[in-house]
Amino acid sequence: MNTAPLKRYLVRSDWWMHLSVLGLMFIGILFIYSAGFQHADIPVSGFHQRQIIWALVGVLGYIALAMTDYRRVAEGAWWIYAATLCLLVLVLFIGKQVHGASRWLSVFNIQLQPAEFAKLAVVLVLARYLARPGRDIGHPRCIWLALIMAGIPFILIARQPDLGTAAVFVPMVFMLLFVAGVRLKFIMILVLLGMMLLPVAWLSLGDYQRDRIMVFVDPDRDPYGAGWNKMQSQIAVGSGGLTGKGYLKGTQNVLGYLPRTVAPTDFIYSVIAEEKGFVGAAAVLALYGMVLISSIRAALVARDKLGRLIAVGVASMIFFHVFVNIAMTIGLMPITGLPLPLMSYGGSFMISTMLGLGLVQSIIVRRDRR
Amino acid sequence: MIERIHKWRMAALAVLVMGILAGLGVRLAFLHLASHKDLEERIARMRHTERTIVAERGRILDRRGYTLAMDLAMKDVWVDPMAIQREGHGGFISTHLARILDMKPAAVLDIVNKEGRQFEYIKRHVHSDLADQIARMSFHGVYFHDVMTRHYAQGELMCHVLGFSNMEGVGSAGVEQQLNTYLRGIPGFRVSQRDGRRAEMYSRRQLDIAPRRGGDVQLTLDQSLQFIMEAALDRGLEEYGGKAAWAIMMKVDTGEILAMASRPAFDLNAYRTSTPEQRRNRAISYNYEPGSTFKVPVLAAAFNEGVVTPDEIIDCENGVWYYHGRPLRDYRPNGRLTVADVVKRSSNIGTAKIGLRLSEAQLEEYLRAFGIGRRSGIDLPGEEAGIFAPRSRWSAISVTRLAMGHEVAVTALQLLNAVNAVANDGFLMQPYVVKRVTDRNGRVIREGEPHVLSRPVRPETARLMAQLLARVTEEGGTGRNARMEGYRVAGKTGTAQKPIPGGYSDRLNIASFVGFLPADDPEISMVVVVDEPLPLRTGGAVAAPIFRDIAEQAVRYLDIPATEEDPQLAAY
Repeated sequence: MNTAPLKRYLVRSDWWMHLSVLGLMFIGILFIYSAGFQHADIPVSGFHQRQIIWALVGVLGYIALAMTDYRRVAEGAWWIYAATLCLLVLVLFIGKQVHGASRWLSVFNIQLQPAEFAKLAVVLVLARYLARPGRDIGHPRCIWLALIMAGIPFILIARQPDLGTAAVFVPMVFMLLFVAGVRLKFIMILVLLGMMLLPVAWLSLGDYQRDRIMVFVDPDRDPYGAGWNKMQSQIAVGSGGLTGKGYLKGTQNVLGYLPRTVAPTDFIYSVIAEEKGFVGAAAVLALYGMVLISSIRAALVARDKLGRLIAVGVASMIFFHVFVNIAMTIGLMPITGLPLPLMSYGGSFMISTMLGLGLVQSIIVRRDRR
Repeated sequence: MIERIHKWRMAALAVLVMGILAGLGVRLAFLHLASHKDLEERIARMRHTERTIVAERGRILDRRGYTLAMDLAMKDVWVDPMAIQREGHGGFISTHLARILDMKPAAVLDIVNKEGRQFEYIKRHVHSDLADQIARMSFHGVYFHDVMTRHYAQGELMCHVLGFSNMEGVGSAGVEQQLNTYLRGIPGFRVSQRDGRRAEMYSRRQLDIAPRRGGDVQLTLDQSLQFIMEAALDRGLEEYGGKAAWAIMMKVDTGEILAMASRPAFDLNAYRTSTPEQRRNRAISYNYEPGSTFKVPVLAAAFNEGVVTPDEIIDCENGVWYYHGRPLRDYRPNGRLTVADVVKRSSNIGTAKIGLRLSEAQLEEYLRAFGIGRRSGIDLPGEEAGIFAPRSRWSAISVTRLAMGHEVAVTALQLLNAVNAVANDGFLMQPYVVKRVTDRNGRVIREGEPHVLSRPVRPETARLMAQLLARVTEEGGTGRNARMEGYRVAGKTGTAQKPIPGGYSDRLNIASFVGFLPADDPEISMVVVVDEPLPLRTGGAVAAPIFRDIAEQAVRYLDIPATEEDPQLAAY
């Protein structure tokens, strides 16, 4: 069963997902180039070249996982989980400091962000834990244990500090519990508990984080400071119009109004929206919709609960990133440093996203023959 | 059953996800498709930048082309305190700025910590290499402006003539002020766009008018002669005391000023720390009663009118003479003197009697022809006109007082110019300090040319007067301290009591010496004035030695040939 011929993979795999993933990566590379482009005479920074390498590595990982039985991967879930926890602890001590946060581990000159892999590891380990035959989903102890499993990496990541990435765990865990069949009563209790903790969370935020949220509440509070990126991003998107200013013709990023450091990463979407207008922005949104529909379909057709939970976990991870990033770009959310999956510049997230989608394909390929 | 629940929940999840994505799409549509005219205007406003570009100010050169004043390209260093406070690196940035700019860290920190400010100067007129040093550290919120800084190569030298231009590049004194229109150049103007870091984008310039450098001004003054004069004044003040001193040297046949100095002085590169007293160019702005030096134009008038001859005998009344009931005294009593000796010994009584042979109208006319009571029109700001009342306001004894340089006030420049006319065959010249102005391409746009103002006396009178004045520096004359080896010096001493409330001071004098050389073929004329010298306080004792000190070096520097003795002329 797990040595099915290649042809079977090609036929049974989800081609809509293949195409939309490749499309998103391709568009991402194009606009990372554009974000670094200033003038025909000035060499473009090498971001887009590195992103091509990351994309290729990601595609290899995607194919490799699609061909591997996700159940065998899940058997190693605890090891993967333990290894990521080790990396997360390590990064706190020997991590590379950037802007006061240590998020990167340097391995052979390659900067890795263990937090990105931790998301996937938590999906795997929770899926395996919750899908275990005979697990009593209805029992509170089971839920508490699941929360602790997600809570350990959450706290480690929050300590880096990288609250944005840590926050991804929250909807992910909720969606997993929801789909796993936990009674709605428990979920409501958890939601209430979480809301009671909000004031505590507010107090534990750093000044800059509170600034960002305040700016969101009151946009004219500090237009040249904390509100700058938000305002400029909104201007960039808005000035795109229906069809945009044209590729390489966007000005907000070229002129450094969208700071060049964030244009290819967190604000790649506003570059697209400015240069390709509503048409481009909506197309990208549609591609994400396709990826998400494919993933949810995978969950529906999965042959077992493990597969369903993995697919839902990956889908919720991607969805949360897409939603938060685009919402912040168009001024619907406070600024958080969450990248756009498959498009934002960055290796670790690209690879972990592609590995997750590889798992989803593996689930699709091995679906029930009904 | 369990599958059922799962399906239901999956469907709910799918609807939620798709619903939210659709919501994002709607918001995108609103942002994109709504009218974005105001957005574009906002962008344009944010990026638009207009700048005037300061033009380089022209140089000021001395007679021989040495640079005295020039512009250096420098930078103003400024910060955006709000931006720095946001990043929270205020302390770090302040420490480095203070170190590089040699300032107190606390002072810099105070500026950086100012609340609600987006523009504060840290230091203005900073050397470019220091600014580059800061720029290399690429601090966020630290910026630079290009500026031009006036630099005066010789610091204090010629400070009163040169004047200075202020921080904004506007000439505020001296030649810098007088010729500001030539020196300042034409500022450039640039309309362009700027990027998010406020840096200008060169490729998006809409209008770029380059600044045009100002013209170069060449002076008639010679920095070497100036140095000689200033050093001699400083030595003189040291030796004789006095609270101020000033001197002018002029080229006899053209009226060009070769040197002009005033003490106290100040460093042009630090003009802001100078006092008004230091900044005052006394050589052209100080009105004083000239005393005996004023006898030169009076006597020249008498000779020119032929009312007296040099060898006529005048009774000098042994020191006291009553005229209209008022006493007139000589500094040293004399009996009967030839007119020539009246000059040599500077008898007030003798000169008064000679003056009385002229009508009041004649005297006034002559003195006005010599430029008394009128600005010479020199191309420097702040010139005074002296004080010379019209004869309608004269009293019965005015003529006798005027003859000895009282009841009249002059500037050193006026007096020198009058004496220079005697040296110059009777031609009163227009004194000037600007030799030429050239534009940035080297084309001459203004040339200083000799100009005759008037001709108060005939050449014969002038030459006769010169010979009589030459005797003043001989043995027995009041100006013997101005005597030089190898050169006949013509001149006249002056000692005037300073007016104090209620009369004249017994102690405080203005001592002066005015003259020219060589007496037989004059090349340079010069006046030296010392204010309140003590304990020596006569022109002969104080000003004459300073005159000689300067003249001895000047003749060597100017290569003026030594005079041969002429026994025939020595008879007078």
